[in-house]
Amino acid sequence: MNREALIAGVGHSPFGKLTGRTALDLEVEAAIKAIADAGLSPQDVDGLVTDPGPAQGILNGITPHYLALGQLLGLNPRYTGSEILGGAGSVAIIQRAVMAVEAGLCSVCLCVYGDAPLSAKGSFDYARGDEAAFGLFGAAGLHALAAKRHMHLWGTTENQFGEVAIAARAHAARNPNAQLQKPLTMKEYREAGYIVEPLKKADCCLISDGAAAVVVTSADRAADLLKPHTRILGYGQAHNFGTYSSPDHFDSLPAARCGPEVLNKAGLAPSDIDVVQLYDCFTIVVLMQLEAYGFCAKGEAGSFVEHGRIGPGGSLPVNTSGGLLAEAYGGGMLHVIEAVRQLRGEAEDRQIQGAETALISGHGLGMNTHTTLVLGV
Amino acid sequence: MENEYPLPQPTPFTESFWDACQQELLQVWRCKVCGHPFLPGGPVCPECWSDDLEMQPVSGRGEVFSFVVYHRTYHPAIPAPYIVASIELENGVHLISNIIDCKPEMVRIGMQVQVAFKQKSGFKLPMFTPTVHTNTTFQLKRGNSSV
Repeated sequence: MNREALIAGVGHSPFGKLTGRTALDLEVEAAIKAIADAGLSPQDVDGLVTDPGPAQGILNGITPHYLALGQLLGLNPRYTGSEILGGAGSVAIIQRAVMAVEAGLCSVCLCVYGDAPLSAKGSFDYARGDEAAFGLFGAAGLHALAAKRHMHLWGTTENQFGEVAIAARAHAARNPNAQLQKPLTMKEYREAGYIVEPLKKADCCLISDGAAAVVVTSADRAADLLKPHTRILGYGQAHNFGTYSSPDHFDSLPAARCGPEVLNKAGLAPSDIDVVQLYDCFTIVVLMQLEAYGFCAKGEAGSFVEHGRIGPGGSLPVNTSGGLLAEAYGGGMLHVIEAVRQLRGEAEDRQIQGAETALISGHGLGMNTHTTLVLGV
Repeated sequence: MENEYPLPQPTPFTESFWDACQQELLQVWRCKVCGHPFLPGGPVCPECWSDDLEMQPVSGRGEVFSFVVYHRTYHPAIPAPYIVASIELENGVHLISNIIDCKPEMVRIGMQVQVAFKQKSGFKLPMFTPTVHTNTTFQLKRGNSSV
C-alpha cells in the first residue's frame, strides 16, 4: 500500500471584483473544479481543510469556516479543520492534508482558500493592537518598516523594489487569468506615489475576491487518475512570534529557519529549484525570501533582481503567474496551483521548459508566520 | 465617533504601562530573575517564564530603528502624512510610536530622539521628538553637576 501523498487536482474561481459573489460560493466553485480536474467525484472526498481569507475570519458567526463550507458541499468528512496563519495558511493546509493522508486519516483531502474582501471594504486595513494609536494600520506599514531597514542595512534602493513589481507584471502579461495584464515601466512605478513610504502602489499586492482549491490524495488512490501527479518533496514551517518590541523583528524572516532545512531534507539546493513561487504581499518580502532561501546572499537581493533576473526569460523566474502583485490575491493557493501547472507542463505561454521542481512559500500576519512546500514531478 | 482617536485598549497586562504614561513616565517591564526588559506586559517574562516582574522607568531617550511615512489616511483622526517609527530605547526594547515636530524628509535611522507625551482625546501617548545637540546638552549637564 502506497500512502505517499501527492497533488492530484487544482481549480479556482475567477478572481477580481466579483459583485454579488460570496466567499463560500466562490469556494464551492473552486472545490468543484479541483475535484473535476483530478477526475474524482464528490463522493470520493473524505477530508476538508480550509484557509479562510482575512475578510472572513475563521468564524462565520459561530459556525467555523470548515463546517460552513462542508455543509454547502454536503460532506461528512473523516478529517477536517481550518488554519489561521494569514498568508502562510494555504501552504499550511496542504501540509496538513499531506500529513492526514499519509497517516491514513483520510484519502482524498480538499484544501480550499477563499475570500471576498472587496465586498467587505477596509478589512485589510485593520490595526494591530495598541499600535493603532500611532496610526500603524494595514500590512503595508509593517512591511514598509522592514523595507526601510533593508535600505538602511544593505543599500537597497526603491528602484530595486520596483524591479520586483515590474517582473511580476511582465509575468502576469502572459497569464490570461491575471488581473493586471499590462506591463509596468520603471517610470510608471516611480510616478505612482507612495502608499506608506518607501512602498509605492505597485509594491503592494492586489486585493481580490476569489477562491482556489487543491486536491491531496495518496499515490494508491491516484493511480488511475487523469492528470500527471505532483509529488510532495518536502515541507516545513517556522514562525516568529516576537512582538514589534523584539529587536530583530523587521530584519529577518522565519523563512531563514525553515527554508534551508526543508531544501536540505529534500536533498536539493536552491539552484536545483526550477519554479520559484514566493509569497509576495509586498515587493520587500520577495527580496527578503530570496535571501532567506539562499537564492542569493544576505543583503544582496536588491542587486540580484536587477536586469530582469526574476522576470520572464530571466535566470530565476519568480512567480510566473504574476503572483499576488499582478495575478490576484489568492491567499497563496494560486502560487501552489501555478507550481502544479508548471510541473504538469500546462503553463502555456509562461511554461518553464523541463520544470521538475518547485518551491512555494507562505508568509503571514505581522511577519510572524512562514510555511514552505517543495513539489516535484 | 469616527473622528475619535483610536486609543489603546488597556488590558490587565498593559494597563500599568499606560497608567504610567498618564503620569508622563515611560516604563518597561523587567524580569527580576533574568533581567530581561520587555514590552508589552504579560503574566511572565517571555525569556525565562518567571512571574517575578517589575516596572522599570526608562530615560525616554532612544534612537530611530526604522521609520515610514504614511501618505494615505487610514483613520480620520490621524490624517496623512505622518511618521510611524520603531524606536530603540536605551535598554534595547523597541516601541512603535510616532515621530513628531520633525519633517518626514529630516528623519534618519539612527537619529536620536526623546519621548514627548501628547494628549489625544484626553489620553497621553508617548511620542518622540528629535533630540537636538544631544552631546552638548550632556556635557553641559555634566559640567554643571561637577561645580
